[in-house]
Order: sequence, then C-alpha cells, then structure tokens
Amino acid sequence: MPENTTAPTRAMRLGVAGPVGTGKSSLIATLCQALSGELRLGVITNDIYTDEDARFLKSAGVLDPERIRPVETGACPHTAIRDDVTANLLAAEDLEADFGPLDLVIIESGGDNLTATFSPALVDAQLFVLDVAGGGDVVRKGGPGIARADLLVINKTDLGPYVGVDVERMAREGREARRGSPVVALSRHDAASIRVLTSWVRDTLTHYRTGEHTPVDPGPMAPHFHADQDGEGSHPHTHDDGTDHARYQAAANAGQSA
Amino acid sequence: MSTSSLLLTLLGDARLPSGGHAQSAGLEPALRAGTTAAQVPAYLRARLRTVIRVEAGTAVVARAVAAGGGDLGEVEAAWAARTPSQALRANGRRLGRGYLRVLQTLWPGPFDARAGTWSRPVVLGLLAHRAAMAPADVARLVGYDDVQSVTAALLKLEPQDPLVIAAWVKDLLPDIDEMAAQVAPLHTPEQIPAHGAPLIERWAETHDTTTERLFSA
Ligand SMILES: Nc1nc2c(ncn2[C@@H]2O[C@H](COP(=O)(O)OP(=O)(O)OP(=O)(O)O)[C@@H](O)[C@H]2O)c(=O)[nH]1
Ligand SMILES: [Mg+2]
Repeated sequence: MPENTTAPTRAMRLGVAGPVGTGKSSLIATLCQALSGELRLGVITNDIYTDEDARFLKSAGVLDPERIRPVETGACPHTAIRDDVTANLLAAEDLEADFGPLDLVIIESGGDNLTATFSPALVDAQLFVLDVAGGGDVVRKGGPGIARADLLVINKTDLGPYVGVDVERMAREGREARRGSPVVALSRHDAASIRVLTSWVRDTLTHYRTGEHTPVDPGPMAPHFHADQDGEGSHPHTHDDGTDHARYQAAANAGQSA
Repeated sequence: MSTSSLLLTLLGDARLPSGGHAQSAGLEPALRAGTTAAQVPAYLRARLRTVIRVEAGTAVVARAVAAGGGDLGEVEAAWAARTPSQALRANGRRLGRGYLRVLQTLWPGPFDARAGTWSRPVVLGLLAHRAAMAPADVARLVGYDDVQSVTAALLKLEPQDPLVIAAWVKDLLPDIDEMAAQVAPLHTPEQIPAHGAPLIERWAETHDTTTERLFSA
C-alpha cells in the first residue's frame, strides 16, 4: 500500500532535466501547447546566466507569461534542484497561490550534466531529456537520470539521419539501461511521438492524484561496479539509500567466513 | 546564556538548505556598478556597519520579543521601515520563507499565521528563541552569513584563489563580533538601528530588473 492514499491537495510537480540544449524548453512548450486546454499549468525555469528559457517560453505564446517564472541558481543549477530546493519550492508555492488551483507545475532544470537530477523534495515525477545529436552512445554512458528518471526522452529523432544515429537502437539501449522503464523517442515534428509523451504525463498525473504514484530519487550517483574479492558475482548496483551496498558487503563477508 | 557552538555551525553552514546559495548579498550588482574585487573587504565592512547591523539588530529584537510572547509583526514593521529598498524587502521576505521551512522542520511548533510574510531577521529571531540561542550569537550568525554569501558569490562572479577569500573572511571575524556585541543588548523594535546604505539600496533596485544575473539578490 502506498502511504499516500489520500488525494494530494497541490498540483503535481514535474521536473524536466537533461544536458544543455537537448530540447527541454521546447518539450515544455510542446506540453503546454498540447495540455493547456485541459490542465491548469504553471512553469518554472532554472536558468544559469539569464532568464533566456523563461523568455523563450513566454515568447512561444503557449501559456500566459505570468505563469512562467524564472528562478536564479547562483551558478549552481544542480544545487537548486537537489541540495537546496528552497527557491524552486517557493516559486511553485507562489504560482499556486497566484493562479491556483493548478494541475501541473513543470520545472525545467538549468541544462547541466548527466548527473543532475531532481530531489523528490521538489518534484513528484521527472523526465530526463537526451537528444540524438548528442550521439547514440550517450545512453550507454548511464547516470541517475538516464537509468532512473520516471521517463527517458530521446529527443530530436528527426535529426537521426543527419547525425548518423540509429534512433531505434538508441531507444532500445535506453530501455535496457533502464531495465524496462519507459523511454519515449520524441520529435516536435512527429505528432504521434508527442501523443505518447502527453499520454504519459496524463497517466502519471492520474496516478499522482489517486496516490498511486510514489516519487523516486534517481540519486546523484550512477550505478557502478565493485569487483568482489573472489572475482565472482560482480554486479552493477546503486547507493540509493546506502543499504544495498552494506547488504552486499555483509553477504560477501558472511560468504568469506563460512 | 551560551549557544551550542555546533548549533551555530549548523546554521552558519552554506550547506544548510535555506535558499542562500542564490544570494550574493548585493555583490553581483555592486561589481556590475564598478566595485572591484579588491574592494570587497571594504564593501563587507560597510555592510556590517549599515544594512547588516539593521538585520542583526532586528533578529536580536525579534528573539527578545518572541521570548516575551510579544507581537513579531511590530518587529517586522520596524525592519521594513529601516529597509527602504522594495527589492531588498522582497528578497528579505523570500529568505524569511526559506528559514521558516528550516524552522518548521528542525524546531516544529505552532506558528503565527503571518509568519510566511516575515523577513529573514524576524524568522531568525523566532528560530533563535526556539533553539535557545544567545542574542549575540544570532547577531553573529547574521553577520557571518552575510560575509560568506558575498565571498562565495565572488568566487562565482570573479573567480580567484578561494584561500585568499577565506583569509578575508577570517580577518573580518572581529568585525562581525564587534557588530554582534553592539546589537546584542537590544530588546524593543524602536531600538533597532536605522542605518542606510544608499548605494547598496540603489544597486539592489537595479539588480531586481536585470535579466542577466546569476544571483537573485
Ligand atoms: N530538429 C529538432 N530540433 C529541436 C527539437 N526540439 C528542440 N530542438 C532545437 O534544439 C535547440 C535547443 O532546444 P531548447 O529547447 O532550447 O533546449 P534546452 O534543453 O531547453 O536548452 P538549455 O535550456 O539551454 O539547456 C533549439 O535550437 C531547438 O529549436 C526537435 O524535436 N527537433
Ligand atoms: Mg532551456
């Protein structure tokens, strides 16, 4: 039983993370365009040097500009979405106070690197955006966002032929890296792919409202290997909560003393 | 009365998630207006004698008023009257909300319904009361936090040897202690110092409407 079985009283917060230029703002504009007729939306951007993202979204004309708020990150975009989420939380509260009730608040992270993911203290669900132009091998490089975000987006699939990337294969490797968790191959020029994205958002919102959705922390650290002393049974694992490793270690020790 | 030194360390640590990492304590617009990195220690001393004395004095008085069961709304009004820049008032109140989250989680208890509109020094005063901090220590915390906000922001805005900057902070510690000792005995809102720093206030206003910025204030 999820502990959160009563209907939540605030909007669902959806984080959008991923490296610089992979299409986070464009994806948010696409979502706003597709969903603003049916959902009450707000958007928060975390720019690094400017309010460029907020300005882009305001000028895209897909949402009332007042509902798009930039947050400064003190040159630490990852801190603002993970170690100290205060500014983003206050901005989300303000959006709801000014326009509430809202259904969905979308938060764009400042384009950072592969290790930047949102804390569950800030968002209820998050998607991680890569693009094909970054190279087909990026998914294999792994990282918490690629492996454990609620949804992995492989964006700009229309560019695949121009950059020599096999989109099908990239998506398949994404699914493998995520042990079957969802992956969307997206292009803003491909209406069918946009429908897949929007229905994922709708479904997640439905689960959030019924209390069936539990925020997960992708964690700041990528899965990695520790070679066992006996050289057998090495396995990738993560330190989400620190317990797994201790357990494996204890098991290894027990095995040795037996 | 003495505060646990570790408690003071916890509250003065930049890693405390209270929203401080996006603050430059006025440094970003100061540099943009022509202040040089070498002038930063002087900039800090000027702050400690003016706007930060007001902040620290407010926190000390808020602590005393909270301890006596008085109305913190009066302390907030006294702080606002001494903070002429609307941008600085808005920022101080945003920071107050950040510290309120810290307070609610670390020292839970009933809150005045208006607490979400109070500025950082008023919320810090309430926190100091709840956490049993000595008056001088909450004032030292305000001064130290300001110095660290400026110097940490300098490393982002005009990168240089971080150890040189740490040495500046160390050299300023007596100034912080002196400022704290001066405001520590205050008890009532009308005793809060009313120093102004017109340039800092004007820069804060300019910064508020600047779009290319790393720090929110
Ligand atoms: N071909 C193609 N280009 C796209 C697509 N989506 C976004 N782009 C382009 O990719 C570039 C970057 O897009 P943004 O949406 O600004 O990317 P971002 O991740 O928000 O960037 P930062 O905020 O700077 O990290 C822009 O030139 C977009 O027009 C797509 O589906 N196909
Ligand atoms: Mg963007």
